[in-house]
Amino acid sequence: MIKRYFSLLLIVLISLRLSAQVWVVPAENETRKSPFAFDDASRKAGSDLYYTNCKSCHGEPGKNNAIPLVPPPPDMASAKMQGNSDGAMQYKLISGRGPMPSFKNTLSATDLWRVISFVRSFNPSYKQEIASASAAAGTSAQNVKIVLSWLKETNQVQASISGVKDKVNQPLAGAEVKLFAKRYFGYLLVDEPRTTDALGKAVFNFPKDLPGDSTGYVQLVASLTNDVAFGETKADTSLVIGVPTYRPPLTEKRAMWNVVSKAPIWLLLSYTIAVFGAWGFIIYVLLQIRAIYRAGGRKEND
Amino acid sequence: MSHNSNDTGHDHTNREKENVNSRRAFFKNFGLAGAVAAVGGAAIYSGYKYEESKPGHDMVKVLTSDNRIVEVPKDQIKDVRVDTDQLQKQGREGLKGHRFVMVIDLAKCRNARKCISACQGAHHLRPYEYHINTLVMQESEHTAPYFMPKPCQHCDNPPCVAVCPVDATFKRQDGIVLIDNERCIGCRFCIAACPYSARLFHWEEPLMAESDKGKPYNIELNIPQRKGTITKCLFSSDRLREGKLPYCVSACPNGVYYFGDENQDAVTNGTTKETFRLSELLRVNAGYQLMPELGTKPRVYYLPPKNRLFEFKEEKDPVQETT
Amino acid sequence: MASEVNTDFLHNKKLDSIAADILRPVGITQGFIVWMGFLGISLLACIYAYYIQFDKGLIVTGLRDYISWGMYIANFVFFVATSLVGMLISSVLGLIGLKWVKPIARIAEIIAVAFAAIAGLVIVSDMGRPERLPYVFLYGRIQSPIIWDVTVVTTYLVISTLLYFLPLIPDLAISKGRMGHTPKWLQQTYEILSVKWNHTPKQYQILMKAVRIMLILIIPTAFAIHTVTSWLFAVTLRPGWDSSIFGPYFLTGAFVAGSAAVVILMYFVRVNYKLDKYLTTHHFDMMGKLLVLVSIVYLYFNINEYLVPGFKMKTAEAIHLHDLFVGEYALMFWSVQLLGLVIPIILLLFKFFRKPFPMFVISVFVLVAAWFKRFIIVVPTQDHPFLPIQRVPHEWMVYHPTIVESAITMGTIILAVIIITILVKFFPVIPIWEVAEEQNELDSKTKE
Repeated sequence: MIKRYFSLLLIVLISLRLSAQVWVVPAENETRKSPFAFDDASRKAGSDLYYTNCKSCHGEPGKNNAIPLVPPPPDMASAKMQGNSDGAMQYKLISGRGPMPSFKNTLSATDLWRVISFVRSFNPSYKQEIASASAAAGTSAQNVKIVLSWLKETNQVQASISGVKDKVNQPLAGAEVKLFAKRYFGYLLVDEPRTTDALGKAVFNFPKDLPGDSTGYVQLVASLTNDVAFGETKADTSLVIGVPTYRPPLTEKRAMWNVVSKAPIWLLLSYTIAVFGAWGFIIYVLLQIRAIYRAGGRKEND
Repeated sequence: MSHNSNDTGHDHTNREKENVNSRRAFFKNFGLAGAVAAVGGAAIYSGYKYEESKPGHDMVKVLTSDNRIVEVPKDQIKDVRVDTDQLQKQGREGLKGHRFVMVIDLAKCRNARKCISACQGAHHLRPYEYHINTLVMQESEHTAPYFMPKPCQHCDNPPCVAVCPVDATFKRQDGIVLIDNERCIGCRFCIAACPYSARLFHWEEPLMAESDKGKPYNIELNIPQRKGTITKCLFSSDRLREGKLPYCVSACPNGVYYFGDENQDAVTNGTTKETFRLSELLRVNAGYQLMPELGTKPRVYYLPPKNRLFEFKEEKDPVQETT
Repeated sequence: MASEVNTDFLHNKKLDSIAADILRPVGITQGFIVWMGFLGISLLACIYAYYIQFDKGLIVTGLRDYISWGMYIANFVFFVATSLVGMLISSVLGLIGLKWVKPIARIAEIIAVAFAAIAGLVIVSDMGRPERLPYVFLYGRIQSPIIWDVTVVTTYLVISTLLYFLPLIPDLAISKGRMGHTPKWLQQTYEILSVKWNHTPKQYQILMKAVRIMLILIIPTAFAIHTVTSWLFAVTLRPGWDSSIFGPYFLTGAFVAGSAAVVILMYFVRVNYKLDKYLTTHHFDMMGKLLVLVSIVYLYFNINEYLVPGFKMKTAEAIHLHDLFVGEYALMFWSVQLLGLVIPIILLLFKFFRKPFPMFVISVFVLVAAWFKRFIIVVPTQDHPFLPIQRVPHEWMVYHPTIVESAITMGTIILAVIIITILVKFFPVIPIWEVAEEQNELDSKTKE
């Protein structure tokens, strides 16, 4: 009885451990496909993205020189990697796991597909399936524009999306919009990605305490997550919605570590007084030597 | 005040180099007889040059710094080493309106040492000369060991700067502590003063000193390096000027480093390029500073090595092995 | 020193014999030439060592990034410390009115001038870019203790030189006519340096006033010079240096080293120049008492410096103290403390050991120990920075002084000895007029 109990426990444990290693991809994501055909341009762009973002861990494709991590990062040309569907790859890039970071907010949807396009170039037997037109057709539009505005009462930023659809320029519903605030080295995601309503509008809660420049300007950048359906569109607007921030240069105050002209007053004073005092006496005494000389001379002359 | 000194310093080395070069070529090609001829030639040439440079002679098209093309008389053109002067000026001033800050997530560091090699490559350092080093730390006997990357802390109350006798090391308005190796006298008081052992000294001729010779001195990159002077982590201020992340930060494969601007309350991860609120990152992860009790006010924050992504595995020290 | 000088001594017959005694060794002798030749050749070897360092960089020393201050800085502190005795003997004791210091005041000033002058040179030997020394004056940051140090060392050197020179002026004038056995150039030097001194009361009045000003001014300057030198360490955050008693601790240590140096020079002068009439056993006895006094004060500061952190054993301090008491530096530490401090104190309490020769031997021990004590203060602290030393070559972790740096250090000591030799050999080493004046007073008293 006990033995059976233990073997059962063992099986449970092993399966748990296995499931911990298998990266489960939701069915919905598994079947996703790239909306555009992989070509040389997409492979080239994907290659650049791969080498800046992925190579440091996964190594060069086909060379099996990934760094030893747990779980091990697979080589791009390996059967394990190529066994993923396009959708599974996209899911894993978006979600990340353990040492593998999420690229959800750092690579655009198009860029993700470009990386996959590059990865597939190491699989000679790969045949691409493009997302059926019907899936994207509902939202396909041209000349998409994003306009950002400030809803002061609610402290929100509103993105209005419009574009040419069915040959008519109209608000676009169902577009997923991400809003970023530009910072010096990157883009800070503001709120969650939002989907536009029937009027083509999406509203973002803006944090009350985000520093802007000295007048409060914050440069906002909005882009579409499902940009493959709309083309790559970006809005780049500066709005006075941040906390006006002016912080003086760190070198402004007098300090022991600052330059001479910013030395503490007490130090300047005491140093100067001490040096002038001591050397005043020294010079006086040197003059006395001259006085001795003169006194001697006088007597001889006398 | 600073400019003059660096002027002369640079001038000096430049002239030296020119002298050496010309002398060498000279004797190789002409020999002594050639020397006589050349002196005569030079006299004639300088006479000709004088004639040519008389006012109103030649006009030359020049591109100004604000991108206009203007015509000026040739004799009014002076060779100005804009490079060094400009590099000194901007290097000492720093970037206006910024306060740079680094966050190091100890939970993610597995001692890949890519930061170190990227830094050593950029700054022409030997394998055992560290602007940044990853240390094996263990607080006490029964606590877990972990890896701790340690750059210069760029303190807001820098003990090293306070003791410098000649203003060779200084703090800029953006918080970065730099070192001017054309000013440094090599007294090493700053090494004694730094509690983080962040500074190193060029005890011998620096690596690549020969090939770097004659380059305009970039105070933000500290190249060319000089024997007998101090060097240290510069927060890659040459890269920051271009809006790029420091060498170490972008080289890390494990997302250990965040770098950003305290004034904008944002830091960007060097690996994923994802940007976070600094205040939130520090709050959520219980960020801390190194030895805050010393009152140095570091600009580098650490996130504790909790829930680490990697097993701690201590390797043999390759530097010790080889030497 | 009274500002009124009774110039009667000039007419006392004893002046002639005193001047003859003191001036007898002055001038170039065979022994002097051999001695200077020996010093000169040794110095050349040391200069060559410095050339190597200048050419190759400080890599030729045992210093590296972690222990970046070593023998040179210890040597610097030693030089500054030893030079302080000029202030103690001629100023403090002189102003109190102790008569016995008069004959040895000049010896103390010679030590002060020689060691203060070379201290500046010692610090240059430690610099990575010695040719940039002028930057210290061009771009000096007055917040840096180095600038304070440069300021006070220069000031102290000038004041010490004046305190050596001013009381020498009457002696030069007295000596002028009594130097037949010396080379002509030396007589001319005396002529120039004696600034037309002809013993008028007015001249004495001016002289005494000037000396008095300098005697008072040298006290704060001397305190400043060694306190600031101690601050080079105390202003850092390192365990072992981060101490608030470093100023007085260094100052009292300086008096010990300086007194020992004075005794050694006194002994040489007494024996070589046969001046036992002027540097009597009484002088050695008094110097012995002075040495024991300053040593006890120094011992007191030592106990403070080591016992208090030793009681608390803070992590970093504990490592440092462990190194000193039982670790790597234990042998040096205990030798210095016992041979250079505790045993001398015990011995000097007995009159027998305050005789010239035992005093000389003890002082040699004290002075050598003083040098190593500076090494103990400077080096071990850097062995254990707050953060571990990792992934650097082995020689980065330990400090073993090299031959080159030892030679350079030796060179600075030789230079100091050369200066002392020149001052002792070419000028009256004992103040003739002051001794004669005192003698005259004694004579008139006995007459009464």
